[in-house]
Amino acid sequence: MTTIDAPAPTRTSTSEDRLVRITLAVVRIGVAFLWIENAGWKTPPNFGSLRTFTEDAVSRPVFPPFSWLVQHVVLPNFTFFAWFTLLVEASIGAFLLVGLATRLWALIGLVQVLAITFSALNAPHEWEWSYYLMILAHLALFATAAGRFYGLDGILRPSWLQSSSAPARVLVRFS
Amino acid sequence: MNTRELYRFAAALGVLGVVSPAFGLSNSAKTNFVLVQGAGAVVLVLIGVVALACALLRRGPVLVLAGAAALVAAVLQLVQLGRSTNWLEGNGSTFSLLLGLAIGLLVCGLTRTTDAAPVAAASDRLGGGRTDPR
Repeated sequence: MTTIDAPAPTRTSTSEDRLVRITLAVVRIGVAFLWIENAGWKTPPNFGSLRTFTEDAVSRPVFPPFSWLVQHVVLPNFTFFAWFTLLVEASIGAFLLVGLATRLWALIGLVQVLAITFSALNAPHEWEWSYYLMILAHLALFATAAGRFYGLDGILRPSWLQSSSAPARVLVRFS
Repeated sequence: MNTRELYRFAAALGVLGVVSPAFGLSNSAKTNFVLVQGAGAVVLVLIGVVALACALLRRGPVLVLAGAAALVAAVLQLVQLGRSTNWLEGNGSTFSLLLGLAIGLLVCGLTRTTDAAPVAAASDRLGGGRTDPR
């Protein structure tokens, strides 16, 4: 009976592998700082600039159902949604920075980017590709499970895989 | 997952805390990603130094304290956002960075570790066959 052994990793494949892992970590951390920085200009209690962008969703509609939602739900309860936005965006930045539950936070980031796109895409002086690129970046973080490379997901995932506990199973899915 | 990887990650977080005041070196809004100044800079550097020392000396319980301190600082910054009293002199970006440090250090400090070599690393490695059933 013949057996086929998997080829031993060559030096080229190992170095390319490492380059890919480092690049994905850099992308993840870079996107994290995108969210971290942009949490900086959302300032309570008035959230002035955020209100302006939110109102753009109504005055310059991109996706009419979203415009309706903003006009009838978000703006009448703006302070609540402004704090929610601040906390969510700061958390996206924090979790992507350390690479924990990265797939979950990449999805949350994607949803948030879509909300931003539907609000600000038609605003003056906006470069549309900035929103498209943010969407693509979060899709890439999700698809590659970028937290597994130099992030906490990569360090802790082996123990989660070996555990039968519910939290571990959830974290395996989220990472 | 093993002890060395976890403490190495904690050390990296410590280095981030120590160098974070460098964000304040840029006056350009295009490169000043995080507002780190005044007391906030001092707090971040102190947390970074403690985290780095704990990681190098492998003191898990003290690492938890560093993470808890970062969490307290994050909550303090959040509560004082936009107010006239802003002890850490930061904004939402400062809060987010402190939150990230807190999460990372607490996870590193609270995780029980073994000294075994990574078990499933090969199944998650790019370029190799994926054997992870999930």
